[in-house]
Amino acid sequence: MIESILALAARLLSLFRRRGLDRDLDAELRSHLDMAVEHHLAQGMNSEQARRQALLDFGGVEQARQIYRERRGLPFFDTLFQDLRFAFRMLRKSPGFTAAAVLTLALGIGANTAIFSAINAVLLRPLPFANANRLVFVWATDRQRGVNEDVSSYPNFEDWKAQSNTLEALAAFTTRSATLSIGEQAELVPAVQCTPGIFELFGVLPQLGRTFRQEESKPGLSHVLILSDAFWKERFAGRPDVIGRTLRVNEDPYTVVGVMPPGFRISRERPEQVYAPLVRDPNRGHGFLMVLGRLRKGVSIKQAQTEMSAIAGRLEGAYPSQNRGVGVNIVPLVDAMAGDVKTGMLIFLGVVSLVLLIACTNVANLMLARGASRMKEIAVRAALGAERWRILRQLLTESTVLALAGGAAGLLISYWMSRALVASLKQFNVPRLADTHTDTWVLLFTLAISLFTGIFFGAVFAFSAGSPKLREALHQSSRQATEGARGSRLRSALVVAETAMALVLLASAGVLLKSVLVMRSTAPGFQTKNRLTVEFWLPPKKFPNDSRRIQFFKSALARAETVDGVHSAALVADLPLGGGFDSLSFHIVGKPDPAPGKPFQSLFNVASPGYFATMGIPLRAGHEFSDRDSTDTTQVIVINEAAARRFWPDEIPLGKQIRLDTNLLTVVGVVSDTRQLGLGTAPRPEIFLNYMQSSPDWSWLVMVARTEGDSTPVSAALKRAAQQVDPDVPVTRILPMDDVLALSLAQPELWTGLLAVFAILAVVLAAVGLYGVVSHLVAQRTHEMGIRMALGANRGDVFSLVVKQGLRLTFVGTLIGIPCALGAAQLLVHLVPSVRPGDPSTLTAVSTLLLSIAFAASYIPARRATRVDPIVALRYE
Amino acid sequence: MPPKSEVLQGTLDLLVLKTLDTLGPMHGFGIAQRIQQVSQDVLRLNQGTLYPALLRLEQRGWISSRWGVSENNRNAKFYSLTRRGRRQLRDEAEGWNQMAAVINRVLKATS
Repeated sequence: MIESILALAARLLSLFRRRGLDRDLDAELRSHLDMAVEHHLAQGMNSEQARRQALLDFGGVEQARQIYRERRGLPFFDTLFQDLRFAFRMLRKSPGFTAAAVLTLALGIGANTAIFSAINAVLLRPLPFANANRLVFVWATDRQRGVNEDVSSYPNFEDWKAQSNTLEALAAFTTRSATLSIGEQAELVPAVQCTPGIFELFGVLPQLGRTFRQEESKPGLSHVLILSDAFWKERFAGRPDVIGRTLRVNEDPYTVVGVMPPGFRISRERPEQVYAPLVRDPNRGHGFLMVLGRLRKGVSIKQAQTEMSAIAGRLEGAYPSQNRGVGVNIVPLVDAMAGDVKTGMLIFLGVVSLVLLIACTNVANLMLARGASRMKEIAVRAALGAERWRILRQLLTESTVLALAGGAAGLLISYWMSRALVASLKQFNVPRLADTHTDTWVLLFTLAISLFTGIFFGAVFAFSAGSPKLREALHQSSRQATEGARGSRLRSALVVAETAMALVLLASAGVLLKSVLVMRSTAPGFQTKNRLTVEFWLPPKKFPNDSRRIQFFKSALARAETVDGVHSAALVADLPLGGGFDSLSFHIVGKPDPAPGKPFQSLFNVASPGYFATMGIPLRAGHEFSDRDSTDTTQVIVINEAAARRFWPDEIPLGKQIRLDTNLLTVVGVVSDTRQLGLGTAPRPEIFLNYMQSSPDWSWLVMVARTEGDSTPVSAALKRAAQQVDPDVPVTRILPMDDVLALSLAQPELWTGLLAVFAILAVVLAAVGLYGVVSHLVAQRTHEMGIRMALGANRGDVFSLVVKQGLRLTFVGTLIGIPCALGAAQLLVHLVPSVRPGDPSTLTAVSTLLLSIAFAASYIPARRATRVDPIVALRYE
Repeated sequence: MPPKSEVLQGTLDLLVLKTLDTLGPMHGFGIAQRIQQVSQDVLRLNQGTLYPALLRLEQRGWISSRWGVSENNRNAKFYSLTRRGRRQLRDEAEGWNQMAAVINRVLKATS
């Protein structure tokens, strides 16, 4: 044992003083031979004989030296150092090739590292909580509506908590907006209402004060508040005496009891500023809670899912009316936090791996092109006795060195790329995305894909160049030593594969672009020019009933219309393309429900008189709401055309009545459709109630003002006027309607832009690859071209010969790429829902584009071929 | 002259250790000479293979080496047995004798 360790140490040490040891060995052998010669001379041989005999006795000096050397060091490392030195020498010798290969690989590896570091930050890095891997989201599900991630009601949450064994702790929260009054000005801030145990479930302690006590979820005791670190620093300059202070929240006094540490966040949509205790809501039918749980140690998600499904089943049996079809869906917290972005990121990971594959193929191709000239060198090495695996090993070392250099450069590129990525995704408030940085995992990932890349293209190269037909290669003059048929077939196959992959990316970007263009050219169904939107939040405390609200509406509108430059103003609950819409069930008088117990469903909205005119939504039949409508007159509704078609297909809807809860409502007007949910989503049936008659207690509302000319200068005046109506009603947002429209397109446009960037990168790489192959082909066939032209082929013939070759490869690649693109496009629905994967015009356009690029890439070498002077080419032998 | 036989795999170490034990510090050529003399030229030693063997023994710490001057005033590397080497020689010689005895017994029993 000790002997082996000593031996290993000696061998390792010897690696660092090889030259000295070599000299030592030579001296020793020389002295041995000299002594042997002397010995033989002494025995009477002449000097010639003595020398011969000494060498004979010794037997192969060179072999002895070789065995000695292998014995002395560690042959593996010896060879590795040797290979590395050789590789560096080779790469230094052709700086152009090295630069092209490193740059190509750097782009591919950099793109992968950038996407991976974002994924690492959002999905892979453990959440900053104790036992983060045991934290889960417990969603309700609704079989009837086919919803997998639904909110649950307070009584259901309580029953889950009481009955579950697999989850050792459960807590619930809901996100709210709260008006906070500090001094004069009311302000709307994102808030979380939660059950007291939620901080303990996360295992996070407040940095100041305390968390909620159990009894603080009871009405009357619940007026305590915990602040987020950001809010505390911004509003109270991080002063510790904030504990015990009283703030007015939604007009009620709340006492600050604690401050959470930096970075703590529960809501996934937007970072909350304050926390308040959640008060029990006894209505089992009212779903509004998101539930978090912590798995008991050693319990798997699957076990918890099984148990919770059983509990949900029992609850469904016990409360058939409220809990029909309600199940449970347990999701790891990390995944739940990432939400939609997760799919998008995984798709992009696929996209960048394609880019990397293309980059690999390109570099393999570059190496093969160079391989032609190295073929001779390899053949000589083989002839001098290098074993086949030794040559392969040398080639793989070279490609790995190249790939590692590419990886190092890629790391630099990824730094910029991920900064750009984080910046462009910032508007979507993805949790933890901002922490994207290069950590050990990112470095390991980069190292791993660099090694993989090196081995991948090195193997491709070695496969085709590593076993030259010795005699052929040695016989040929160096210019003609080529990789032969197998090599050139392989290179063509690589170009075909590259083209196919580029087509997939280009087609995907194409269909996304098309759907964005379609959305952009889609008329939203209302006017956006010269329209301003002002968003309000009505504190429910202050406006407990219809008359208070109606009073506010009237004075707000009256005040708005006095502002200079405002042509007309109106109110609406949900702005089309604004993001929020509510679906309600109702009955139609004189018509049976579509199914027993399942009434009609429609989007419901509330608008004030003049809304349709102000928004420029054309009236199709009947009339708009009028100022004469009031709580005392008939309750009226206006419907859109989609609703008219759906609910009264062959009738005139005017005068028809519906029942919503207990209210009878009469249709007085039909307006044309608007795209409520998105420009890519078909208009849905929508029913408008009149703000002057009834307003559901939705606290949000938007004032739309039509301005004379440009709306920007009016905006400040309008905001002032709006705030004067009631200082306790905060204006949360003031935005031109054009911007609302643009915001609704932001996400699809971002995904499209990102994909387009990668697709362009892929196409450029593929074009470079094709260019390389065709140029190489021309270079190889210069001699043949010369003969052809000497025999009477004109320049046009030669030109088309070359271009055809390039186009044929691209064409085959396109044919293979199209079905792959169709398959890949199915995934794009996750990025932009309205995408049409199989759009033939896009595919045609993309294929044509690719073929044109292929033409351009073949054009330059083809031109070069036509300039071949037959005499020179023939003499070149 | 009896036919020469190759040095058996693994026995070279034992021969080298024993030679150094008998002669004291000695250079490679001297070791080779001595092995051939003692075996009365029955063993044919490929002298070149001696050096990797010496290296191996040195790496294991059984012998040590240093440069010195030979009896004929030549620079040569001298090898000498270490204490661990002496112990190793004892163990190996013992093992060899046992093995030889066993083989002898087996040969006698069957003949």
